[in-house]
Amino acid sequence: MKTFGLIFKEIMHRKINFLLGLLAVILTVAFFVGSVTVGQASHRETVRLMRNMGMNLRIVPRQTDMTVFWDKRFSDYTMPEDHVKVLAHHKKFTANHLLATLTRKVTVSHNGKEFQVLLTGIAPEYFPPGKEKPSMSFEIERGRVYVGYQLAQDMQLLRGEKLEIGGKQLLVERCLAETGTPEGDDIRIQCNILDAQEILGMPDQINEIKAIDCMCLEVESGESREVTVARLRSELQKALPDIEVFQWQTLAQIRHDQRLMMQRYFATLVLPSVVLVCVLWVGVLTMINVRERRQEIGILRALGYGGGKVASLFLGKALLIGLIGAGLGFLLGTEMALTFGPQVFRETAKGIKPLYDLLMWSLLAAPMCASLASFIPTMIAVAQDPAQTLREE
Amino acid sequence: MVHLSKISKIFQTRRGPVAALDNLDLDIEPGEFVVIRGHSGSGKTTLLLAIGGMQRPSQGELLINGQDIYGLSPQQRSDFRADNIGFVFQMFYLVPYLNLIDNVMLATGTRSNHRDQVEAVELLTRLKLGDRQHHRPADLSAGERQRAAIARALINKPKLILADEPTGNLDPENAAEAFGYLADFQQAGGTVVVVTHGSAADAHADRIIHLDHGCIKSA
Repeated sequence: MKTFGLIFKEIMHRKINFLLGLLAVILTVAFFVGSVTVGQASHRETVRLMRNMGMNLRIVPRQTDMTVFWDKRFSDYTMPEDHVKVLAHHKKFTANHLLATLTRKVTVSHNGKEFQVLLTGIAPEYFPPGKEKPSMSFEIERGRVYVGYQLAQDMQLLRGEKLEIGGKQLLVERCLAETGTPEGDDIRIQCNILDAQEILGMPDQINEIKAIDCMCLEVESGESREVTVARLRSELQKALPDIEVFQWQTLAQIRHDQRLMMQRYFATLVLPSVVLVCVLWVGVLTMINVRERRQEIGILRALGYGGGKVASLFLGKALLIGLIGAGLGFLLGTEMALTFGPQVFRETAKGIKPLYDLLMWSLLAAPMCASLASFIPTMIAVAQDPAQTLREE
Repeated sequence: MVHLSKISKIFQTRRGPVAALDNLDLDIEPGEFVVIRGHSGSGKTTLLLAIGGMQRPSQGELLINGQDIYGLSPQQRSDFRADNIGFVFQMFYLVPYLNLIDNVMLATGTRSNHRDQVEAVELLTRLKLGDRQHHRPADLSAGERQRAAIARALINKPKLILADEPTGNLDPENAAEAFGYLADFQQAGGTVVVVTHGSAADAHADRIIHLDHGCIKSA
């Protein structure tokens, strides 16, 4: 009888023991996969929230009068759109997301009334080659606009209506929900950057780049935030002399620190605890299995089965539990992340996708952990004295 | 076939050392049917397990077919046991989740093939278990289980069968039948060593050995 055949028939005979072990592995792997999958969504969500609160690095033309900038919410000056590419390829500066925009205040006539609105053209996100990520910004098709809440109310605009801006007919694709942000999103009309450049007569120009989730320069230990920002500004201005760099850092840093703290908490406390419980669970079940099979082990030894063959029956079963548990756990964890993740992380819901790398890691780690958990009971089985077992009546 | 010289087995207990086998000398010839009898605690099972390579003696020389089995490595001893020795126990020790064919084939190891399966079926049929070959041990009577255990002991065509109280759980009719199969094995040239309380095996025995406190009292 082949080893696998023996393992399979024993599993079918003691289904409860097998299913309990499998359940432990499935739940652990599902917890791991679900947490990591949702964790990545959480990361993106945090970044998104940071952006929405204006808490990231902002790059504007150098001549910008910041007093006017804060008053108007945009720079009167422009810079080439290609600056985004320069930033994306900068060796000492990385940003997960680079959003280029062109914003101006324009007058829009609708139903016989005139409205002062912020017109913002949004460029598609630019990523360095090989570092593409799920997009965080709207990608608005040409000829279409997203209208801020207050403006849509005042103009009595509905989705599907036409709006003329600067002589160009645009279709209202969406009327956005109320944001209440000080950046004036509720009185903003957002469109494709090419439409904005065409309407404003500023081809290939932008007036702001938002750099999200930046990791800028090699920050030295103990270096103050002010020194880091100054160093950052200097470094970027070497590459692009016509830019000004600033950031709102306090809330961003709190968010960032909170995220890192949760990651550390998860990685150092929660996940090891769950894995430990699983290992103990599988270990105890294997020990119970070994005790139940004392006579079987004894007769196998009497029939000439060596320690290796006896060990392979228990370790083989553990490997099987690990492999099946990893596969099912991955499916369960991913399914839970895909089902419940979007309810929690609404902004980045579309970015929650199965992480197939985790399947590979689960298929490696779960059988290894299950085997480790079964190792001591297996050694007890191998070391069991068959003479003692077989003289028991 | 079996040569024991000055064999002792000392168990360390809380009340001090206990000699299960005490300076025992014994030779069993090939083709012999030997019955070992003695009261509980006389060392019968210890002797049987020692001969079977499963209970290392504290001292003395033990040869099976001229091979010092305790001089072998554990794996070599396992292989030697699989090739040369068949066991039959009072409690049958059939694996509960395997049917009779699989239980019998268990003795052929993890590299068993179709030929082994054919032989297992033939053996079961010869032992009147042909119609029970796909049944599990729990579905069988005690006599049927013991016949299956005998089939398992025979499948590898061993030179020696060691039986420890093989009829302890059987009625007289089944006991006689079980000893009949062991006698058939002996007739075919095999060596049989039976440890038993009863006298059902006496009719087949070439020699009856009485064991008392680990020593042979009469043979």
